[in-house]
Amino acid sequence: MDRRKFIKNSALASSLFFVPNFVKAFESVTAKQLGYKRLVIVQLAGGNDGLNTIIPHNNDLYYNARPQLAITKGIIKLNDDLGFHPSLSPLRSLFDNGELSIINNVGYPNPVRSHFRSMDIWQTASSSNEYLQSGWLGRYLDKHGDKPYNALEMDEQLSLAMKGEHFNGIATNDYKVLYNTAKDPYFKKVLNHYNDAHLSEHNLGYLYQTMIEAESSASYIFENTNVKSSQESYPQNGFAKQLKSIAQFINSGLDTKVFYTSLGGFDTHAGQNNKQTKLLSQYAESVLAFVKDLKRNNTFEDTLIFTFSEFGRRVKQNAANGTDHGAANNVFVIGENLKKAGFYNDLASLSDLDGNGDLKYDVDFRSVYATILSNWLNVSAKGIIPSKQKTLNFI
Amino acid sequence: MTQQELQHLYWRVGFGINPTNFNSLPKNRQQIVDAIFDNSKSISPLKIDLSFMHGVTVKDLKENPKFAQELRVASRKKLANLNYAWLNQLVDAKELLREKMTLFWANHFVCKDNHVVFAQKFNNTLRTHALGDFKTFVKSISKEAAMLKYLNGKQNKKNQPNENFARELMELFTLGEGQYSEKDIKESARAFTGYNHDFDGNFRFKMKVHDQGEKTFFGKTGNFSGDDIIDIILEDKQCATYISDKIYRYFVNPKPNKKHIEAMANVFYKDYNIENLMRFVLLSDWFYDDENVGAKIKSPIEYLIGMVKIVPVKFGREKDLLKIQKLLGQTLLNPPNVAGWKGDKAWIDANTIMVRLKLPSVMLNNAVISSGENDELRKKFFKKNKGKLPIKVTVDWNTFSENYKNINPENLQDYILQGNSNKGTADFLKTLSKTSKQEYCVQLMSLPEYQMC
Repeated sequence: MDRRKFIKNSALASSLFFVPNFVKAFESVTAKQLGYKRLVIVQLAGGNDGLNTIIPHNNDLYYNARPQLAITKGIIKLNDDLGFHPSLSPLRSLFDNGELSIINNVGYPNPVRSHFRSMDIWQTASSSNEYLQSGWLGRYLDKHGDKPYNALEMDEQLSLAMKGEHFNGIATNDYKVLYNTAKDPYFKKVLNHYNDAHLSEHNLGYLYQTMIEAESSASYIFENTNVKSSQESYPQNGFAKQLKSIAQFINSGLDTKVFYTSLGGFDTHAGQNNKQTKLLSQYAESVLAFVKDLKRNNTFEDTLIFTFSEFGRRVKQNAANGTDHGAANNVFVIGENLKKAGFYNDLASLSDLDGNGDLKYDVDFRSVYATILSNWLNVSAKGIIPSKQKTLNFI
Repeated sequence: MTQQELQHLYWRVGFGINPTNFNSLPKNRQQIVDAIFDNSKSISPLKIDLSFMHGVTVKDLKENPKFAQELRVASRKKLANLNYAWLNQLVDAKELLREKMTLFWANHFVCKDNHVVFAQKFNNTLRTHALGDFKTFVKSISKEAAMLKYLNGKQNKKNQPNENFARELMELFTLGEGQYSEKDIKESARAFTGYNHDFDGNFRFKMKVHDQGEKTFFGKTGNFSGDDIIDIILEDKQCATYISDKIYRYFVNPKPNKKHIEAMANVFYKDYNIENLMRFVLLSDWFYDDENVGAKIKSPIEYLIGMVKIVPVKFGREKDLLKIQKLLGQTLLNPPNVAGWKGDKAWIDANTIMVRLKLPSVMLNNAVISSGENDELRKKFFKKNKGKLPIKVTVDWNTFSENYKNINPENLQDYILQGNSNKGTADFLKTLSKTSKQEYCVQLMSLPEYQMC
């Protein structure tokens, strides 16, 4: 070893003594390059009524099944058959620009009509008779991530979708609160004294490792987020606030691949029209502000926004001017350079319904996931999506 | 028994033990374990006020959908009361082991129902059989209204069989994955056709939709009933092994030990008596091995109840407790799916660890954990902000002082923490000024070590 190299090595060695143990332990995992493509998930919780979202305005069966509930005024016609609910007008420009792809009739075999269970199925990418305890995004990050902040959820707790077998994302509806909690002087002292090279080998080690990662992630997010990076004005609602935070993270260049947001209230068993009108407005206005914000910062081209709900609703309205739980539904994919913008496929037949009177699926939601994984995130869906799925050509 | 062995035993059959209770216990292991079973002989069912359902008939609901909807809302509100009642029972009940086992079985026979009458009934069935005969237990579960709804048993009819319950019966409740064929599922599902329940949640067998044909199941052929199927399943020793493995991982160590589990299965297979199995476990020398002490990550409920048993608190708002359970990742009566909570490491992610480390100080000490740095200033600041804390609690430090009055503050960690601490952390604890036992207690509860039991 020459002298120069020796000095370099020993300098490195001695400087390590001054680094607190936990930082060493944390940094011993080499950082992987995750690439710059980002995925934003929007979950419409409660089961959004897809038929009143994308409306078959030329179909008598639709009007007959919903005498009081069918949308008759203000439909934004997108082609001869289908049109937007009036509340979706902010998305018109995205549709016209080829930045929105609508996939109809997405679902899975033997659909489950329980919110809880169906949401689990969507989040874990399981079959309807299979119970998985890890989520599809979590499994993606099992393989391709290493820091909790690689996956951020804008909530107080982490959804199953974001939990892998080993990897867990981080949930926070306010990263400043997370930071203030994590930097408690007592915790810092505990971590500074902690000494164990075998962090994750036993349960106690795993607890310390997770504590270190939480502390380190909270600092990372806090220190790297530039609040001023979002200048766009957003509507005043909780969902818009979630998207605004995400825009700040993306525009600040955080090493986060997956963002998870949720907008709830779509379980419209009674008095559907007012509720859905309000919710879809919130959704569309917030998404438009978000897209504008990203465009202004040149980050839109590296971002894909995927919107889904755990199921659609029954074709026939109920007696309370609402709809009951259904099956197949539409999903939205928003991004630049979509391969197939506009309508990916036609709406399923309204005369050939399943035994419950619900739309039949013809696109498996897991093939949509598989496509996002392979064509957007550039990884193999193998080991992430448990069943074999074909790749679609929307991106 | 040593202090460590006693604490270990009480953490597994309950939620820990306070040092003042040590003296009142008998001296040897056999006597102590006997006393634990004696105390669990009785059953205290949960009984919340369900008068809102009194006099309601099926007819009322059918004729008045609006009323039916109101009842559903009322029922969901009552579920929160049931959740609260269960938590209180875990804190107060003298039937320590029965309650701990009820909690265990609730994550084995996993079920969820928004109908509070059925949910309470199901919960009490778990409690009734918690230490009884496993065979009778499984049969009762198969006839519970909540379960018939949850796994579609009531939709399972001769002409339209639904296999959901039959599949989970074998996969999750008795044998484990891969121990049966798809044909076994189909055939056994036929045996359970006709199972249903009445308006009050009592079991009703509907002969008209029951498949009375011959079924071939696990190599046997006959006109089997649901109960017959359960008998046949339990003839397979794999069932005793599967349950023993699960009990071992819950009550002894999340890392399974084949030899010990096999010994348990031998005991259990004899008569499927749960009490005998538990007696065997709690009296075994290996149960008290060092490697088992403090080896478990507390479930959120173990963590929460354990804390409240050391420092009693009164919650100002019931809903705060729901919020805490949600943040910690385990809300009683609301399991994630039929496989239940995964447990162990899965309890912990970056969020839940921070909540766990911070909650003791938020609940007990206005969010302050003394660290020797500007403590007085921070205390003043946080005291001013007391009203802004997310939860409202009244803390009973007097009981803590009484329970721990004979404990030297220098030794408090040996009573609050289970198992070995990290060496660096143990050294750090030595440097803390222990002028206030209360402050030191909060400091100990704010450690990763406190998550273990």
